[in-house]
Parts: sequence; C-alpha cells; structure tokens
Amino acid sequence: MELKQYWLIIKRRLLLIALIIAVSCLSIGIYSNYFMTPQYEASAKLIVNQYKDSGSLLPSIDLGSINSTIGLIKTYKEIIKTPRMMKIVLKEYPDLGLSYGELIGKVSVSSVNETQVMSISVRDDSYAKAANIANAVAVVFQKTVPALMKVDNVSVLDKADPKEKHNPVAPNPKMNIAVAFMLALMLGVGIAFLLDYLDDTIKTEEDIENVLGVPVLTSIPKFTSRDIDQDHHKESLTPTAGRDVHVSLDS
Amino acid sequence: MSRLIPKKLITESNPKSPISEGYRMLRTNIEFSTLDQKLQVIMVTSSKPNEGKSTTSANMAVAFAQANKRVLLIDADLRKPSQHFIFGTSNRIGLTTALFKQKPLGDVIQSTNTKNLSIIHAGPTPPNPSELLSSAHMAGLLATTREMFDVIVIDTPPILSVTDAQIVATYSDGVVLVVHSGIVKKDVALKAKASLEHVNAKIIGAVLNNINRNQSDSYSYSYYYGESNDQ
Repeated sequence: MELKQYWLIIKRRLLLIALIIAVSCLSIGIYSNYFMTPQYEASAKLIVNQYKDSGSLLPSIDLGSINSTIGLIKTYKEIIKTPRMMKIVLKEYPDLGLSYGELIGKVSVSSVNETQVMSISVRDDSYAKAANIANAVAVVFQKTVPALMKVDNVSVLDKADPKEKHNPVAPNPKMNIAVAFMLALMLGVGIAFLLDYLDDTIKTEEDIENVLGVPVLTSIPKFTSRDIDQDHHKESLTPTAGRDVHVSLDS
Repeated sequence: MSRLIPKKLITESNPKSPISEGYRMLRTNIEFSTLDQKLQVIMVTSSKPNEGKSTTSANMAVAFAQANKRVLLIDADLRKPSQHFIFGTSNRIGLTTALFKQKPLGDVIQSTNTKNLSIIHAGPTPPNPSELLSSAHMAGLLATTREMFDVIVIDTPPILSVTDAQIVATYSDGVVLVVHSGIVKKDVALKAKASLEHVNAKIIGAVLNNINRNQSDSYSYSYYYGESNDQ
C-alpha cells in the first residue's frame, strides 16, 4: 500500500521527471561531445625487484620478497608524486613546458595488485605529449631511486610510444550520459516527493474523509471532449428508452 | 436538439457518460444519506470560485429530474450567475425580480428542455445580494416552492468569498460542498466547513470534482460499464 502511494506520487510528476532527465542527458551529451577537449592517457611501466644488483633474478623470487616489494611500491608511489621528483623531471626535460603543479595533476601512479609492476599514467590532450611525460617520469624515477633509497631496484619495463594512435579516454559521452541519467532520475524523484510534501491540496476521496470528516458523495472526473461528443448525434435520433420508467424510492 | 444542450449539462447531453454516472451516484447518495430526515432543499457551494458549483448543481438537478422527481434549480449566485449560460437561456427575469416583487413567482419559474426540471435564474444583479437573500421574501419564496417541488437545488456563491452562501444555508436542509481536486488547500476546505457549521448547516457530503482520470480506480469500471451499454 505504501509502495503504491509512492508510485502514484512519482506517476503524477512523471512528465517533470522525464523532462529533467531529458534536459540533463541532452546537455551533458552535447557538452561532452562538442565542448570538452579529448584527453589521452599514456602509461609507462616500471618493475621493482628486491635485489637488482645480485646479478640473477631467480633467488629473489620468493613470497617474502614479493610481499616486501609490494610494500616498497607503496612508498615509491608517494615518492613519484612529490614536488621534488617533479622538479627533477622538469629540470631534465625542459621541453615539456609544464609547472610541477600541473605535472603532479597529470600523473597518476598505480600498481597492479599483488605484483611488482608499477604503472605511471599520464593524461593530456595529446597522446604524444602524454607518452613523453610518462616516459620522462619513469626514466627520472629510475635514476633517482638509488640516491633516495640506497638501492637500485627499479627498471623501466615498458615505455609508452608517442607515435602510437590511441582513442581518447575522456570524455566518455556514454558514461557521462549514464551518470547524468542516474543523477537526474534521483533529482527528479526527489523533486516529485518534495512537491508532493509541500502540496497540501485535497486530491483524493481519502483526503476529504481525513481532513473534512464528511462523506464523499461522488467524484467527477475531468470533462473531456470524448465525454461530450460520444454518441451525441445517435443519442438525439434514438432517445433513451425507459426514461419515464426510472424507478425512484419515494414518489 | 443536441446542439441546444450546452456542453456542461452532460447528464442531459450524454447520459451514458461515466461523468453522468457520477452525478447519478451523487443523486443516489443524497437520497440515501438521510433516511429519517427530509432532504428537500439542497444547497451547493464550494470554498472558492470556479470549483464547479454551477455545473454540479445543474447536473445534479437533471439527475434528480431523470428519476422522475419534480425538481427546481435556483441560481442564488446573484453576483456572478451562470445557470443561464449552462441552460442557454436569458437571465432577464429571475430570483431578484421575484424578490423585488416585480414578477409573480409563476412567471419566474421557467421550464427547461429536461422533463420535470424547472429553473429560477438569478436575474439582474442587485446592489445588495446579501440583504435580498436574507429577506423574508426569500424565506417565503422557498416555503412556497417547497410545496410545488420534490427537490430544490440551490446554486450559491463560494462560501469563503461572500456571506450569501451562509445565508442560503440557513434555509437549506443540506449542503453539498464541491471540492476541486488538486486546487483546494486543506486549511481552506476546513475553513469552508467551519463557516458552514457556524450557521448550523447540515453538510451532506462533498463532491470531489475534476479528479485525475489516471488516479481513480472506480472510474475505469464505470467507463467500461458505460461503453458496454452502448453496444
């Protein structure tokens, strides 16, 4: 019963909800298709080994060392995002033409879960530039680590290729529209309930009985043209039979 | 014939319509609302203008007339009369001419296209409607017509706008309150009820007017019933 009432409230404002959804989806769609500059993402991958200078990789591969490496990667992730690192990157690659604040904003570091691989991802409005930045950060980080951590255990696994063709990762119009749809739906339903809460008019027979405490004798639907014109002419030709023999209780 | 019937008088123009069925239900419910007490003079009012008082009273009068009652419809909305629009007749003579004793009562009561239904229009707008309605002439007019008709339906101004409806309520056996669905605020409706109770009027019940078709459950049945009757 309660649920039915909620549905009625929504149904009453269905047009409003649909309108809010349509307008927001349309505007988000147009905005993300025509006005947002596309963003490209390039990533360079680093691998972290515990004993790089031991010559052979084999002895280092045991569970304990992998676990400690994963702990190390967390530290590295923070180190990469420090202004100190970024300043070194900018000093060595002045042709990037960025401030370190901008650079920090573009770079994100992630590690694939439970592995020794770190990925440095860079977003920019050109793929070549993003690839260059990612590579620069990766190389600079590899060079800087021995000085910071007294251990040389980071090597570049994979560099991004600036010449590759890539599709933009953002904006994603479909995703944006989907998010806009969900938000607009929530907003619309919220407004519907708010309006219903604020609306203190009498709408149903229950309202009359609850508020006024008088019986409802009848409820008359809205007049439509259908009611007025229905069988209008046929009616006049064949008048209702039995009009005179309507039964009434008291006569 | 059908062209002469104005659109608002749906009980006359389209008796099979579910709306007409709604007015017949109103008639039946009024008939059954009091079994021991006589309900002869029924007043129709609402809290605010444009809630459908005149349409309701006209269709209710027709519904009573269709049940072979002798019905008189009085337009007591002297400030803004509208029954002559609904019935498509002249408002030149009416209640005010009768109350000023310009015409005898017999000339003022006009017959309509509906069998058994007579009507007293409002007449020319007087300067003092409230005084006119509270005069002894009005009481006398109603006493006389009570002898002549089975049911007297009185259309009045909105109860919260002017005092006229309260005055008429004192002459009436029962009051039907028309409530426009989705327009009337709850406190306004309560105020209307309070001002009726203040003059000791008996509220028979309310007519919920202009309900949304999608919302009414009972409506679909009567529509089905109405359509199947046509075939």
